[in-house]
Amino acid sequence: MRALIAAAIGLAAALAIVLTVSAIGAPEGKTSPKPLLTTVPSAPGKITQTK
Amino acid sequence: MRRKASLVLLAFAVFFGALSPLLRWYAFPRLAKIPPSQYQEAVLEAKNATLIDYATMQSKTVPKVTVVQTLKGNVEAAKEIEKSAGKDVVVWDTLSYVQGPDGKMVSQIPERYIFDAHSQAPVHATGEMVDGDPVQRKGIEFKWPFLTEKRDYEYFDFQARTSAPIHYKGTQKFHGLDVYYFEQTVPWTKVPYPKKMPLPGIDSSTLEKTTGTSLWYTTTRKFWIDPVTGAPVNGEEVNQEEMRGGTLLGGRDKVTVFAGDVKMRDDYVNHTVDLVKKNRVLVLLLTSYLPWGFLGLALVLLALSLWLEARSRRPSDPPPTVTERLDPVIA
Repeated sequence: MRALIAAAIGLAAALAIVLTVSAIGAPEGKTSPKPLLTTVPSAPGKITQTK
Repeated sequence: MRRKASLVLLAFAVFFGALSPLLRWYAFPRLAKIPPSQYQEAVLEAKNATLIDYATMQSKTVPKVTVVQTLKGNVEAAKEIEKSAGKDVVVWDTLSYVQGPDGKMVSQIPERYIFDAHSQAPVHATGEMVDGDPVQRKGIEFKWPFLTEKRDYEYFDFQARTSAPIHYKGTQKFHGLDVYYFEQTVPWTKVPYPKKMPLPGIDSSTLEKTTGTSLWYTTTRKFWIDPVTGAPVNGEEVNQEEMRGGTLLGGRDKVTVFAGDVKMRDDYVNHTVDLVKKNRVLVLLLTSYLPWGFLGLALVLLALSLWLEARSRRPSDPPPTVTERLDPVIA
């Protein structure tokens, strides 16, 4: 009986963690203020000029 | 005491044993999604390409034509569409900006691509467009789904505005990664003129109607995809565009507008590979490392628990031996 209770506690904890983490999910963030480029960047992430 | 410890170990064994499949088959499909706020740019180049000079309507070989592709996640638009779609949605506003060797614009085509954040399946909503024209995409564009399979996918061609299969052609090594190579050939197809072209005084949207000259396009599209994240680590297009017929060509049947082998610039290849290597660890954590690790840990803990339990049941003192002789009971 004690073994069954211990197993149930383990299972419940696993379910609680996975359900909580899945429900929270990843943060959405904000729309980037960077523009759609109409100039050629000199290197990745290096926007030299915007219109 | 041993009994208690074995019960605690058993609880942990069940905890990790349950966590293993739950992470892989419950958490992963819900947690693995494209962030709606992603911003990414890529530069592709076609060296020794053929390009039309619109001033003379003659095509000539130029040292380099550059394509700048920007992709920007629109979080506000995604939230708005999610209300009616009832699922996680990503809205990408993109721009393909083509620049000639003189630094001047050759064409630019904006797009709005709306898709399911988890499966990359297209979501149809108001605003979905290519160059201002409403479209309904089928299949994928820009990115493959997480855990890409070795099979053909439907891929949307923004120039032709139709979808066609992109074929899985095998697994290759690329910058230390095992990647899936996909290829699609779009046969010569009549396509709309880009709305923004360097044609002063001419409205490209009515160009075909007024002159009878149409724009044709063919391409062989190549993608090298990291199968874990579904992200392209390299891309290449062997592209040809022609103007055909009508009054614009001065009696000629056709004129090449562009012909070239468009390849991703080396620094962007390296940058993309680095980014993908980082992101694939996160996916592998949920699909492989943690589920297998937790399963192994669960087995070790279970074995330890059983061992402690067995020890706790083993008598510590030898059983008393019967020394007295019992007298038979006589009724």
